[in-house]
Amino acid sequence: MTTASNEKKGRSRIWEEFADPERRTAYYMVLPSLLIIVIVAFFPILYGIVLSLTDSTAAAFGSFVGFENYVEMFQDPAFLEGLSNTVIFTVVSVTLEFILGLTIALAINRAFRGRGLVRAAILVPWAFPTVISAVMWRLMFQDRIGIIQYVASTIGIISEPILADRTLLLIAAILVDVWKTTPFMALLLLAGLQVIPNDVYEAARVDGANVYQRFFQITLPLLKGAILVAVLFRTLDSYRVYDLFYGMAQRELESLSTYVYEGVRISQLQFGPGNAAAVFIFVTSFLLALFFITVLGMRTSAEE
Amino acid sequence: MASATARGGSGGVLNLVLFYVFLVIFVLASVLPLIWVFKMSIVTKSELYASPPTIVPNTLSTAEYAQIFSDSAFQKALINSTIIASVTTVICLLLGSIAAYSIARLRFRFKATVMTLILAISFFPAVAIIAPLFIQYSQLGIINTYASVIITDTVFALPLTIWLLVAFFRELPRDLEDAAKVDGATTIQAFRKVIVPLAAPGVFTTAILTFIYAWNEFLFANTFLFDQSTQPVTVVIPNFATIYTVDYGAQAAAAVVVTVPLVILVLIFQRRIVSGLTAGAVKG
Amino acid sequence: MTPNKREGIEMTTRRKINRRDFLKLGGAGLAGAALLGASGCGGGGGGSGNLIFSMGPDDPNKTITKLIDKFNKQNKGEFQVTYREMPADTGQYFDKLRTEFQAGGGDIDVIGADVIWPIQFAAQGWLQDLSDNFPESEQQKFLQAPLEASIYEDGIFAVPWFTDAGLLYYRQDLLDTPPKTWEEFKEMALTVSQEAGIPNGFAFQGSNYEGGVCNALEYIRTHGGDVLENVTSGPVIIDSPESVAGLETYRSMVADGVAPEAVVNYTETESEPVFGDGESVFLRTWPGMYGDIQGGAYKLKGEQVGVAPIPVAPGNESFSTLGGWNMAINAATDMPDEAWEFVQFMTNEENLKYRAIEGGYIPGRSSLLNDPEVDEANPIVGLAKEILLDNATSRPVTQFYGDMSLEMAEQFNAALKGDVSPQQAVKTLQESLSSIMEQAE
Repeated sequence: MTTASNEKKGRSRIWEEFADPERRTAYYMVLPSLLIIVIVAFFPILYGIVLSLTDSTAAAFGSFVGFENYVEMFQDPAFLEGLSNTVIFTVVSVTLEFILGLTIALAINRAFRGRGLVRAAILVPWAFPTVISAVMWRLMFQDRIGIIQYVASTIGIISEPILADRTLLLIAAILVDVWKTTPFMALLLLAGLQVIPNDVYEAARVDGANVYQRFFQITLPLLKGAILVAVLFRTLDSYRVYDLFYGMAQRELESLSTYVYEGVRISQLQFGPGNAAAVFIFVTSFLLALFFITVLGMRTSAEE
Repeated sequence: MASATARGGSGGVLNLVLFYVFLVIFVLASVLPLIWVFKMSIVTKSELYASPPTIVPNTLSTAEYAQIFSDSAFQKALINSTIIASVTTVICLLLGSIAAYSIARLRFRFKATVMTLILAISFFPAVAIIAPLFIQYSQLGIINTYASVIITDTVFALPLTIWLLVAFFRELPRDLEDAAKVDGATTIQAFRKVIVPLAAPGVFTTAILTFIYAWNEFLFANTFLFDQSTQPVTVVIPNFATIYTVDYGAQAAAAVVVTVPLVILVLIFQRRIVSGLTAGAVKG
Repeated sequence: MTPNKREGIEMTTRRKINRRDFLKLGGAGLAGAALLGASGCGGGGGGSGNLIFSMGPDDPNKTITKLIDKFNKQNKGEFQVTYREMPADTGQYFDKLRTEFQAGGGDIDVIGADVIWPIQFAAQGWLQDLSDNFPESEQQKFLQAPLEASIYEDGIFAVPWFTDAGLLYYRQDLLDTPPKTWEEFKEMALTVSQEAGIPNGFAFQGSNYEGGVCNALEYIRTHGGDVLENVTSGPVIIDSPESVAGLETYRSMVADGVAPEAVVNYTETESEPVFGDGESVFLRTWPGMYGDIQGGAYKLKGEQVGVAPIPVAPGNESFSTLGGWNMAINAATDMPDEAWEFVQFMTNEENLKYRAIEGGYIPGRSSLLNDPEVDEANPIVGLAKEILLDNATSRPVTQFYGDMSLEMAEQFNAALKGDVSPQQAVKTLQESLSSIMEQAE
């Protein structure tokens, strides 16, 4: 790769870049993927930004209205509820998944019998289609016939119907998400653990470091890269939660994504605020990713 | 921490027991809900709707399975899911493998930009573009066709495909390619004759992961497809119902049917899938 | 694994790739996908000689399918009708139809439409005005309520097909006469359930969805309130003491323990088995449940169950929310005459009667409500006839009913849960519904 000092000669460098047959081939090879990504993802988001500044409907393009849709969006209680649900859901589920995932990863970071079985068991919830598993979980949370409600009220944890209360529903959704993705988090962290060389621990042991010192001074710092990647992926994944809320609660659990969906696909009158919310999700996701990469110092694998 | 402490002596035995207890709890927590779904699918409807629920099935019935398999809509949905997931996988591998090769092996200036752009998609909130895409697809006339979902799924699966393939390609020895190039092969020939056969296991793993992604996709399918001629299982199953009421028994049976192939895939290829899933992540 | 490996190699090597091909590849991929898509679309038909009819799932006796087969046999060689099965969830079916219209008319020719849809679609110009083919002399043969729900401005946009209305199911074996007022009803529900050792007094559909709107409207209307002054045009009058009283009664079903707490997330799926398996004294649901009980789908036997009108607040009339299905024709159809022929076929006396007997539906023609054969095969028709004719009233049928319903479902559900007071709920609705109505102008 060229260094920063060469940037000045931009134009001629670009010509050189394309004059080199091998480099040209390299561009040709990434071009199809880039094209389809730009056409199907980046162009629509630009279009979405334009739509969010007009009074368009799903059927007809409208005229420019400035930030009216955004004002309306921020005044809509449904949007605010979706925003707060999404933030709570993301923070709580990712935190739980990280703590549980790390515990599990530390525990199974060794050779043992039945490793394959454990790995397969880990992957099963991950491979179960989210929307279908959400519908099945809803059934298990049902008041009359649901096993979870039955067990919970028999042993006296929860007496009121879980599906009837939005707070309980949100907690239930978080638990389902933890069930589905903790194993996955554990797997990513385990992979990170396995590249930490054992002699680092040995050296620390010789120096008299106890278990906790070894964990905080060796494991965590060396695992930082893997942790950041795993947490960023999970955070942005939770942040756009849709299938799970839809399958588990229909209209009763609003998230940012369900708000967008309802605005642009179900309602006839909320197309503007729906699009504004779509842009809002895009911009905030982008900022989140930027935060992880710049502030927390996460490196993308593009750098060799 | 268990890794550092569990060794030797009588304390080791206790540790080992605790360790396996922990494992059993963990595995059960992962698998029990699925076993429960299976249980719901094999009891009669009246037991399924019984209150309180039975823990151990009292009745056994294959009625739900008989029903869904005689249901042409479900068969159609299975076919649709298979077509959507397979075509998406093939296109992703075609586009992804050449792009990944270029990124892993060739030198060019805007590599970091290109990779960031591609990876940005995996952070991309899909719901943010359904409205504009819907309008564009309507204008193209591909709404309610497989194409609408395949194209969109491809874009959202591509980052994963490329990410994995880059990791696999990088691990391959460079010498063979260099040798091929010395023998007068072009870059493309080197890619085709040397890299592709060597990378086949990695490509295969990537294919499984892409397939699972596309098989499980719901949002785009639910947005772009209106009727059962093109809808995949993820859209059709939550809609299983009689005239007014949701048919939970059939949903449970169908959930089992669409998950079993994935579970088998996962059981057979767990080692590969795990190495694939973690390939890109540990590098970070 | 070996064969798979093979495939993997062949897949990527079969094509002879040169530099130029790389450029084409992206295009080829898209084009390939588009081709596949086109063939997927072809399955739906839509070409000449074919009509597409959309409707939710068929009944267990497959009466829709059989009627279509019969029709196709009659028209062999001319044109054929294909049945496109839509989601059972009416909200989703509606959403899909609307999207298809917005995407440029779509390829559905004849639509089996929920009674509240035709006006919404007609306002957008998506349905054919049937006035010429469907003169008043013909219209009079159909039930009044679903017919009125199909009139928009000067046109008529649908033909009544099958009809539905909210009914109060009760345990005939446990009480002699069903209650007339809500006070009596609650009293009876509580005492009878206690005496008979039944866990609940009442079950209904209280969830945040269309069915919840249907339920809550019955409380508001039986207390003398309403949503719109004129059911198809407005203005919004929901903020009234009567509506508040209605929602207070609604809330009291949960607050006073008449219905289980979980009823706030009940739809038909959850509420019907409660009554059907003998766990409640009363149930509010649609007529179809009666046939299910008769057919042995539940623990209760047919003779244990009676149906009655929805109770009232003293001095008011009983109301039942009108449901049911009408038939409408897409304005963009290529074959309007054939489409009309099919609508006539499905709604003629003979075929309506067939479906009433075999499918257990309540026919949309007045004459069939008094038909002894229908009555014998489908006793709910006789039992519910009066209620259907006298009490069934449509929901506010306006152009933007879909958005109004979202608002109402949310507020009614919140009021039922006790999250907002009835006063607050009607106040919120008065504002939001008024602003929706304004946009319709």
